[in-house]
Amino acid sequence: MKMKKILSAAVTSALLLSIAGCGTSAPASTTAANTEAPKTDDTTTTAAEAAATEAAATEAAPATDSGEKLTLKVLTCRTDRVQDGHLDEITKAFEDANNCDVVYQGYTDYVSDVSTMMNTTDYGDVLFIPDTVKLSDLSNFFEPLGSYDEYKDKYNWADAKMYDNTVYGIAHRGNVSGGICYNKKVWADAGVTTLPTTPEEFIEDLKLIRDNTDAIPYYTNFAAADWTLVQWAALVLSASGSPSYENDLLINKEDIFTPGGAYYNVYKLMYDVFSDPTLIEEDPATTDWEGCKPAINNGLIGTMVMGSWAVSQFAEAGDHPEDIGYMPAPFSVNGKQYAQSAPDYCFGINKNSSDAVKELGKKYITWYIEESGDAEAEGSIGTLKGSKMPDYLEAFQNCELFVAEPAPDGLVGVFDAINTDSQVGTWAGDAANFKIQIAEAAISGKDFSAVEAIYADNNQRWAETRDANAELAAYLAG
Amino acid sequence: MAAPSGANIKKKKSISEWLHGYTGQKYTTTIIFLLIPIVLMILFTIIPAVNMGIFSFQERDQFGASVKWVGLDNYRTLFSDTSYFQTFINSIYYFIGSFVQQAIALLVATILCTKVRFANLFKGIIFFPYMMNGVAVSLIFRRFFQKGDGITNTEGTLNSILMLFGADPVKWLSNTDIVNWCLVFASVWRYIGFDIIMYIGAIQSISPDIYEAADLDGANSWQRFRYIIFPGIRPIIALQLILAIKGSISVFEIPYIITGGRFGTSTFVIRTIDTAFTYQHVGLASAMAVVLLAIILIVTAIQKAIFREDK
Repeated sequence: MKMKKILSAAVTSALLLSIAGCGTSAPASTTAANTEAPKTDDTTTTAAEAAATEAAATEAAPATDSGEKLTLKVLTCRTDRVQDGHLDEITKAFEDANNCDVVYQGYTDYVSDVSTMMNTTDYGDVLFIPDTVKLSDLSNFFEPLGSYDEYKDKYNWADAKMYDNTVYGIAHRGNVSGGICYNKKVWADAGVTTLPTTPEEFIEDLKLIRDNTDAIPYYTNFAAADWTLVQWAALVLSASGSPSYENDLLINKEDIFTPGGAYYNVYKLMYDVFSDPTLIEEDPATTDWEGCKPAINNGLIGTMVMGSWAVSQFAEAGDHPEDIGYMPAPFSVNGKQYAQSAPDYCFGINKNSSDAVKELGKKYITWYIEESGDAEAEGSIGTLKGSKMPDYLEAFQNCELFVAEPAPDGLVGVFDAINTDSQVGTWAGDAANFKIQIAEAAISGKDFSAVEAIYADNNQRWAETRDANAELAAYLAG
Repeated sequence: MAAPSGANIKKKKSISEWLHGYTGQKYTTTIIFLLIPIVLMILFTIIPAVNMGIFSFQERDQFGASVKWVGLDNYRTLFSDTSYFQTFINSIYYFIGSFVQQAIALLVATILCTKVRFANLFKGIIFFPYMMNGVAVSLIFRRFFQKGDGITNTEGTLNSILMLFGADPVKWLSNTDIVNWCLVFASVWRYIGFDIIMYIGAIQSISPDIYEAADLDGANSWQRFRYIIFPGIRPIIALQLILAIKGSISVFEIPYIITGGRFGTSTFVIRTIDTAFTYQHVGLASAMAVVLLAIILIVTAIQKAIFREDK
C-alpha cells in the first residue's frame, strides 16, 4: 500500500516537473550543447557523422589537440538539399578548415516554424531571417554583422536586412525577380517570335497559344493562391522601371493604385488574364501545384507567373528541361523593359549564441557566400559582386537589371509598416487580400469596375494608415 | 528542552495521524488526483486565455518584440470596420445546414432505435467520420469536389459519378453560388455522427414500458415518435441546437483547408488567423478572439435561460 502511494506521488511529481520544465530547460540544454565540445543535437542528417567523429575523438586523441570543437546549428528552408546530403557535402571543406561541426536543420514551412521558435532563445546559430521580423526589431534577435559601408561594395543587396546603417543579415543568394516562367516550345509553336513587352502583347500571345496549340495558355495555380498569386507582387518593381518606386510612393504621398502606376497595371493584367476563361485552366479552385510542374515541362501549360526559383523545379520535373524559359515582365517604361534583381533569404546570426559560435557563424556566412559557389551551382545570382549570371537569364539581355534602392534614412521599414498596418498586404495572400479578391472577381466574371472598387478600398486604407504614420510625417517635415 | 520537543512530537504525530485517517486520506487523494488536470488546465487553457485577454489591449506582433498598450483601440477598430463582422454572414450557411443536420440525425437515430438488422454496424459507420481528423476530412472533400482539367489533375469523386450518369462536370468550388453549400455538406457529413449517437443515447434512455403501453394502445410509428420520443429528448434537441449555433459561428478547418477562405467562404476565425499571422496584428486578433468568446458565452447564457424556462 505504502509503496503504491509513494510511487503514485513520485509519478505525479515527475509529471509535474516535466511539465514545468518545458519552458526553461530546453534552451538551457541546447546552449550548453553549443558551448560544450563535440556533442551534436539529435538531428537526422549528421547523426552518423557525429557518431563517427565522436568515436574518432575518443579512440585517437584523449589529450585535446586543438581545443574545443564547436557545433554550428544552421536553420534552412532548403529541406530538399538537406535530405539529399548536398549541403553536408559542400560544408565538409568548411568543417575541416575550422575544426567544427555544422548541423543543418531543414523546415518545410520555414517562416512560420522559425517565427514560432523565435519566441524562445533556441533558434539555431545561423539562420535565414524570416521576413516576419520587422527591420526595427532585428537587433532584438540577431547579431549585428557590421556597418553598411563595410559591405556595400563587396556584396549585392547588403541593405536587405539593415537598420540604422547596421547590417544584420546577408543574402545567401539572389534572383531576378519579376519574370514569368514559360514553355519556349509552346510559345514558338503558337507562332510567337518576339517576347511580349507590353500587357497587350502578352494577352495577344496567350490568345495565339489558345488558338494554335493544345496547351493551357496560362495556369493560375489559384488553389494555392496564398502564395502563388503573391508571385505577381514581384512584377511590380520591374513594371515600374524605377529602383526607388516604393520610396517615391511614400514621399510623394501617392495612392498605391493609380491608373498607369505599376501596382495598377500589374493587377490589371492579372484581371485581364484571369477573366478570360479560354486563357486559363478549367477550374482555378482545384489546381495542383505538383501536377503543374511536369505539365509545363511537357508543353501542356504555356505560362505561369513565378519567381526565377521555379525555373529549376520546372526543368527537373520532366524530360524537356531545355524548354523552360524565363521572360521579363511584359511592361515597358518609355519603350524599355526593366527587371529587378532581389535577394533570397538572408543569413542572420542568433544573438543568444555564445561568442565563439557567433564568430564561427560569421566565418560560415563568409565562406558560404565567397567560397562555396553554391549560389552559382543552384542557378542563382551570387551575393558576391561580379558573380557570373545564370544561363536562363538570356531573355533578359535587352532588359535593364537594377537593384531596388534602399529606403532613405528615417524611412527604413516605413513602407512595410504601412503595408501591414493598413492590411493592404502587397506581399500577402490571405482571403481578404486585394490579389485574391481581384482574381475572384475575374474568375466569377465580374467586370473591371469590381476591381476599381477593390483598388479604391485599398487606396483608402493605405492613405489613412500612411497619414497616421509618425515616422513618415517626421521625415517629410524634416 | 524536553517539554517543548515532546509537544512537537505530539503535534507531528497528530498531523501524520490525521493524514492516515479517513478525512486526511480523502483530502490527499483528492488533491493528488486533481493536481494533474488542474495544472494542465492552468497551463494550456487559463494562462493562454488570460494572455489573450491582455494582448487584446496591446499592439504587438508575433514575436512580442515591441509591445505598446493601446487600451480599447483594438476593439474600436473591430467594431468600426464592418469588414470584420461581414465574415459572420457565412456562418448563416452553416447554421441553416445544422437544422438539416439535426433533422436527418433525428430521423436516422429513430430508425436505428427500432429493430434494424446490423444496427450496431450502421452506428459504427455513421459515427466514423466524427472520429476522423478534421484536416483529413477536409482533404477528402477537396478531392471529392475537384474539377479536373485532364492535365494536372483528374475529375474528383463527385464529378466522376455525375459523368457516369451522363451529366456535365460542375465547378463546385469556384462557383460562389454553390461553394458554401459544398462546404456545409462536408461539415454536416463530419458532425452528423455525433448528433446521431447523442440522439440514440437519449432515445434509449426512455423507458421501454412506455413503448409497451403505447403499443397496447395501438400507436403507430409516427405517433410513437411525436408523443413519446420527441418530448423525451427535447432537452437534448435544445442542447444540440445551441451546439450547432456555436459550431457555425466558429467554423474553421473545413473552409480553411478546402478553399482557403477564397470565393467568399472566409469565416471569422480564418480572418482572425490571417490578422494575427499574415499581418502580424496579434493584438487585434486577440481582440477578435475575445469577441468570439463573448458571443459564445452570450449564446450559452441564452441556452441556460431557455432550459430553466423549460423546467
